[in-house]
Amino acid sequence: MMRKNRIDDKTLQLLKDKMKDGLMPQWVVTDPDIYELEMETIFGRTWQFLGHESELKEPGSYVTRWMVNDPVLLVRNKAGECKAFLNSCTHRGAHLCTADRGNKKTFTCPYHGWSFNTDGELIGIVAGNKVYGEEMQKDEWGLRPIPRVESYQGMIFGNLDPNAMPLEEYLGDMKWYFDILLGRSDGGMEVRGVPQRWVAQANWKATSENFAADPYHVQTTHRSTVEMGISPKDPLYAGYGHQVVMKNGHGINVITSSTGRSHYQFQGLPESMWPMFEKNLSPSQVEVLSKTTVFVGGVFPNLSFVSPVHGTEGHLHNYLNFRVWRPLGPDKVEVWCWFMIDKAAPEDYKEAAYRGYIGSFGPSGTLEQDDTEVWARMVQANKGLMARDKELSYNNLCNYLMGFGGLEPDESFPGPGIAYPTCYADAISRSMHEFWLEMLTKDMAAVEEVRS
Amino acid sequence: MSSKLFAPFELQYEITNILSREAHFLDNRRYEDWLDLLSDDIVYRMPMRVTTEKKDGSDILDEMAFFEETKKSLITRVQRLRTSSAWVENPPTRQRHLITNVLIEPGEKPDEYEVTSSFLFLRSRASDLHIEQLSGERRDVLRFVDGKWQIAARTIYPDQAVLGVMNLSMFL
Repeated sequence: MMRKNRIDDKTLQLLKDKMKDGLMPQWVVTDPDIYELEMETIFGRTWQFLGHESELKEPGSYVTRWMVNDPVLLVRNKAGECKAFLNSCTHRGAHLCTADRGNKKTFTCPYHGWSFNTDGELIGIVAGNKVYGEEMQKDEWGLRPIPRVESYQGMIFGNLDPNAMPLEEYLGDMKWYFDILLGRSDGGMEVRGVPQRWVAQANWKATSENFAADPYHVQTTHRSTVEMGISPKDPLYAGYGHQVVMKNGHGINVITSSTGRSHYQFQGLPESMWPMFEKNLSPSQVEVLSKTTVFVGGVFPNLSFVSPVHGTEGHLHNYLNFRVWRPLGPDKVEVWCWFMIDKAAPEDYKEAAYRGYIGSFGPSGTLEQDDTEVWARMVQANKGLMARDKELSYNNLCNYLMGFGGLEPDESFPGPGIAYPTCYADAISRSMHEFWLEMLTKDMAAVEEVRS
Repeated sequence: MSSKLFAPFELQYEITNILSREAHFLDNRRYEDWLDLLSDDIVYRMPMRVTTEKKDGSDILDEMAFFEETKKSLITRVQRLRTSSAWVENPPTRQRHLITNVLIEPGEKPDEYEVTSSFLFLRSRASDLHIEQLSGERRDVLRFVDGKWQIAARTIYPDQAVLGVMNLSMFL
């Protein structure tokens, strides 16, 4: 029997039509069928963040990660290269290494004792030739590599699609902003400890949008900081600057102030570091960095970042926070939150910036706490017949009309991408949706082409 | 009355009572009363738990934390919860701090004691049927000053490497 309310050509056509009008049907947020489709067509084919090179300090250093439900072993081999394998023994498929991190020369499966080196090669089989004979070819039973592993500015990504476009091509214009965020100072950024991890009630699309595309939420969701006198009263304060739309669903908000220039030059970073920026960045990158208070954005599908300025009693600090929204279901994400800081920053500055981070972001962060409440509300009100109706009979559409039509790009913005002269716009969200739909329907489009 | 004169069972009784009172303040959102229990020089931390192989040593990671607080930052957190727009607690959640297994050892200074306890934190949000929970161990320094007990240090060790609570809006 056909289940009602399934995704079909008609629902997708309706979805496309509404998106053209700046609307997004509410059913896509937590629909279980769309979730399954997303896992295959988006998470099976896009570049996903695995870790930063500074997390793997020496040969044998490893961390274990997840690409949604695929366990990943990320390890630095003897030659110093970072390798990523499916963290599953090739013998019977058991989870090979369950530690979060460590240092090892050999990974041994506790089931039958098969052992692998840091290049993933099968180097030991208990009772080897006595039980398998000479015909067992060990080199055919190495750990299965993640099909593609590439990095940019120390950020290591994996892709399950062997035919995916190169990482640098996928990141496209985002590389320019990654250079500022990650490559501004000598020695680059370093991760402190390990990422904080916790589970939120949320859909991955909502959390990704929340960071990549939505400075508009700041003045309400985080109003407590306004009440406390920490954030400005001007409701436009998080909107000053540019919202930059890039290809492949990426985007960044470059937030300044009402004057178009941050109150804190170079994000309040110590003046001793400023010459490094001149050295490591292009003049236009230096110009953008010098004027910006907050960079907040995302790499599609589920990597987000924020580089803010926090100031208390004259002490200002900046840091970089990357986060992965690992989908655990249509209404659940495991958040992975990395604190990063310039290796070249003075030690007392690093410590103050770290404390500033703990106070603002992560599960205990006074900003992020309220985000988690809002995310939960979004999934909880999205499960009913009205919200999920695919014929859209109840006006069950979300509004992405901010800056829709009428908002012209600012050609004078020095950075690449399409820069709109305000961060209070839904331009990045709409572009994320377009890429999301393109990925979702790629196979369907191919089928249609064959048919016609 | 000096704490040093107490027989061990009295000390046990008194410190256990202080911890129960503290839990009562937190469960009932009497955060200002709670702050009064903390010394001005309190070091309040919640380092991370990681899963490590035995050969790699402790599974507690001091370098990175969930809480890294001073009295001042705790006051700020309380003041924020008192605003009208700290949505995470408005409407308020219902919280329960269950504190057990209280062990007391002499501290580094004469009027200080090192107190270890286990906690089980439970939280009910809105109409969610699922009760969030968090368990772990606390290591405190309790100080007896001017006839009053103060919490002079607290380190919270969560059992989970991936926290099963949607945020840490509570104090532990």
